[in-house]
Amino acid sequence: MCASPASSPRPASVSPAWSGEKAPPLVVGAVERTLVVMPRRCIGCRTCELACSFAHGGPGRMARARIRVHPAGEKRFVQITCLQCENAACAKVCPVQAIARDERTRALVVSLERCVGCGLCEAACPFGHMHFDRETRRAEKCDLCGGNPACAAFCPAKALEYR
Amino acid sequence: MAIRIFIDEQEVKAEPGESVLMVARRAGFDIPALCYHEAVESIGACRLCLVEVRSGARPGISTSCNMKAEDGLRISTDSPEIRRDRATNLELLLLRAPGSPVLRELAARWGVRPRLQPPPDAGIANCILCELCVRVCAALGHNALAAVGRGEKKRVGPAFGKPAEGCVGCGACLSVCPTRCIVMKDTPAARTIWGQSFEFHRCQVCGQPVITEKHRAFAIAKRGLPEDYYDVCEPCKQSQASQRFASVVW
Amino acid sequence: MPRFSSEKDLESYRHKVAAGRAPDRRAVAVCAGTGCKAFGSAKLLPVFEAELAKASLKGKIELRATGCHGFCERGPLVLIFPAGRLYTKVKPEDVPEIVREDLAGGRVVERLLYRDPVSGKAYEKEEDIPFYMHQQRLVLKNNGLLDPASLDDYLALGGYRALAKAFAMGPEKVLEEVKKSGLRGRGGAGFWTGRKWEICRAAPGPDKVIICNADEGDPGAFMDRSVIEGNPHSVLEGMLIGAFAIGASTGCVYIRQEYPLAVERLGRAVAAAREAGLLGENILGSGFAFDLRIYRGGGAFVCGEESAMIASIEGRRGVPRRRPPYPAQSGLWGRPTNINNVETWANVPWIIDRGADWYRAIGTEKSTGTKIFSLVGKVNNTGLVEVPMGISLRQIVFDIGGGIPGGKKFKAVQTGGPSGGCLPASKLDIPVDFDTLVREGAMMGSGGMIVMDESTCMVDVARYFLNFLKFESCGNCTSCRDGLYQLHRLFTDIAEGRGSEHTLELVEELARTVKATSLCALGSTAVNPVESTLKYFREEILAHVRDRRCPAKVCKALITYTINDKCNGCTLCAKRCPQQAITGTVKKLHVIDQKKCIKCGICLDVCKQDAVWVE
Repeated sequence: MCASPASSPRPASVSPAWSGEKAPPLVVGAVERTLVVMPRRCIGCRTCELACSFAHGGPGRMARARIRVHPAGEKRFVQITCLQCENAACAKVCPVQAIARDERTRALVVSLERCVGCGLCEAACPFGHMHFDRETRRAEKCDLCGGNPACAAFCPAKALEYR
Repeated sequence: MAIRIFIDEQEVKAEPGESVLMVARRAGFDIPALCYHEAVESIGACRLCLVEVRSGARPGISTSCNMKAEDGLRISTDSPEIRRDRATNLELLLLRAPGSPVLRELAARWGVRPRLQPPPDAGIANCILCELCVRVCAALGHNALAAVGRGEKKRVGPAFGKPAEGCVGCGACLSVCPTRCIVMKDTPAARTIWGQSFEFHRCQVCGQPVITEKHRAFAIAKRGLPEDYYDVCEPCKQSQASQRFASVVW
Repeated sequence: MPRFSSEKDLESYRHKVAAGRAPDRRAVAVCAGTGCKAFGSAKLLPVFEAELAKASLKGKIELRATGCHGFCERGPLVLIFPAGRLYTKVKPEDVPEIVREDLAGGRVVERLLYRDPVSGKAYEKEEDIPFYMHQQRLVLKNNGLLDPASLDDYLALGGYRALAKAFAMGPEKVLEEVKKSGLRGRGGAGFWTGRKWEICRAAPGPDKVIICNADEGDPGAFMDRSVIEGNPHSVLEGMLIGAFAIGASTGCVYIRQEYPLAVERLGRAVAAAREAGLLGENILGSGFAFDLRIYRGGGAFVCGEESAMIASIEGRRGVPRRRPPYPAQSGLWGRPTNINNVETWANVPWIIDRGADWYRAIGTEKSTGTKIFSLVGKVNNTGLVEVPMGISLRQIVFDIGGGIPGGKKFKAVQTGGPSGGCLPASKLDIPVDFDTLVREGAMMGSGGMIVMDESTCMVDVARYFLNFLKFESCGNCTSCRDGLYQLHRLFTDIAEGRGSEHTLELVEELARTVKATSLCALGSTAVNPVESTLKYFREEILAHVRDRRCPAKVCKALITYTINDKCNGCTLCAKRCPQQAITGTVKKLHVIDQKKCIKCGICLDVCKQDAVWVE
């Protein structure tokens, strides 16, 4: 990570609490329900990517998945998705205020009607979670599926939970 | 304070001053528009978002993109007149942009076939002169594009036909172009658009392009994020993040 | 020039100026309007000066250059005062004779008088000439009497008296008076001026703006130009009164760059008014402050449209925007703005000076006052005419205009500029007022009036106006930009013999959409010439598409030139033919090679035997 820790935006609520599995969950989202990411449970099946691409890109468009499973050593995987930062770089850098927080899910959502496809958010997100769709030429990011994230719903290993 | 407008006799809530087109689309009405974009001011160029105003002092056919919602406004989105005028305007647009899939799809849907001769080339094939590129470029603060000339000789592009100083090669003009007629070419070496070449700022990890150098400089100067935010490409940032999280987890 | 700090100051100065000018003082007024200047009137002044000096009349006879007298057809015009004698088509070589015979000798120079082209009768006095006799000159009244560069001249004729009166009345009463006068905008749509002022006055925002629209763009129209060139202070005075009534402190005049003389004269008038304290702070001690700036337009027709004009003044591309918000709510620089045309402003001092009742007595009930028309085309007396509203088209074309030259038949008159309509002979007796013209498919517009005779082809005319409008469309709306382009193209097809009844269907369909779906008045009225032509001259269009025939013998693709047996073989046509399309030997019948002929009509013009036949 090139950004220094001091200047990097903090995720909305990365809870230090450990889950019953004694793994540090990354809690994404807030208020009522949160997307809990448990890399230790991840089996690397990439069903989450598939589910996300179905939810957002249509069948077989894995490249449009907004969650990605990264190998992190021998049989270890980390699921990478948007952390819905509190003081988000994407929203800050957007020249047309196309990225705004959904009050209900607390997700940062790109308005496709407002996005002008300049690509700045993609360049600016320190975690690489902003995707620029080459076909629609709009920014895409995890929107927590409006309150029912497909990735969590389909994760067979309960490595992603929305609770 | 929310107001009520009536679209095809259906009551719809709106904020005062909102674009009628935006309100109608939000409520699920299918009104075509090519030159409309929420991020910029509407100029009513394409003349497809026609609705019929049925209340107030000036009833009649009007565009909805640049019409502001007012309490009690009554409009209809479909009538023989609307269909007829919309079809005529679509035909005129189709003559300019016969290669545009968006226009061809609309034409197929409404049964519009061009019967007239195409106007002279607007300098860019398939350009419908809606000025979305111009407006968006201005909204982003680059002001690299302008509309010039009048009548069918109107053109859009960099002023005086010369490479514009303000252009940073961001490509937003192409992103918003309804007919995608703006030619932008990316090679590993550089991006070419509007007669200018832009060098890429490259990922410090893998060397892939991240953003054009000029766009980066503009963002650093105007958008208030630290300089090093633009130094790594999206996949490399992801894998960096995954490594970092892994080190916390295990 | 002193600085007037009160009405008293102004009046005492006026008396001083007027006292030095006996009503029967002798003067020579040379028209320096654009028409006469084009005819070379500027050359007359130094010759007059020299000749007057030679005849020892210098100082005894005042020599002045005035604004446009309107009778441009006969320029350069020279008026001799106090007799009011008008000499027409005066050349520098005529000047010694005028000085010797008339000014020194008291004898009329008969050969320079206006002669009626039909009766041959000579007229000595300007006011007796039919062209002037049927007019009622109000706005143009002082044009021939004053030197536009002289504030003294304007003051001597009662200038700025209305302004002082307005200050005494107070803004509300001024507004009431203008409302009561029934004055309507002279720029096009004919909106009630008083109502317009009232809306702007009532708009929130302390800092209001008024604009004088001098972006006169109609082909052949030069009313506003002549008013500004001939009597710039009358426009300033009208604006001052309007600003006072509305509560505006800032004014703009948006004037075409192509009117250099008007720009110059207006600039001088503004400077003179500022020096005299008639512009600036605390005008005439009233506490009212107002100043204005002249903005020169680049010559785009669409910038005459209110919102495009505002954009242009603000330094943006002159493109109309959707109204509301109306300029009165949010106009120039976001401030409440009132825009009136030159002629409208110039009417205001008359209304305040003479009163609304006096003004209302002129014209009709709903169209009060006078209107200036620029009468051009196939008419004997072209020029500027000012007539009371409600006068018939026939009176304008025949009584004032002197009818159609060459004994030809009247065919149509186009009123309202390019977006007006063509009215046929059957409409000659309609009264010329705002509402009647619109009802008949034309409009008042800013006052263009183009007369056409039987040799004019209505397809050609519609094509001409479409060409103008498509060129001047700002290009914003698809319907106007491409619709007018296609309409022009379809009319070209008709004119060139490629039209069919299907073409006419397309024309009607396009015209409907252009009218219904264009943003501004340029687009929505652009099809008026098309629609009025289709309405009144359908048979002529059908002749083009059905019979491939141009009844007026204008459309080149549909006519052929042939030489009949009247030809005596003089060879003149063959010599003049630019294409060498005519062959024949001396004293033998000549023949036109149709393949080479470009239908320029030169053979027709040069043939003395009437042997060239067109059909």
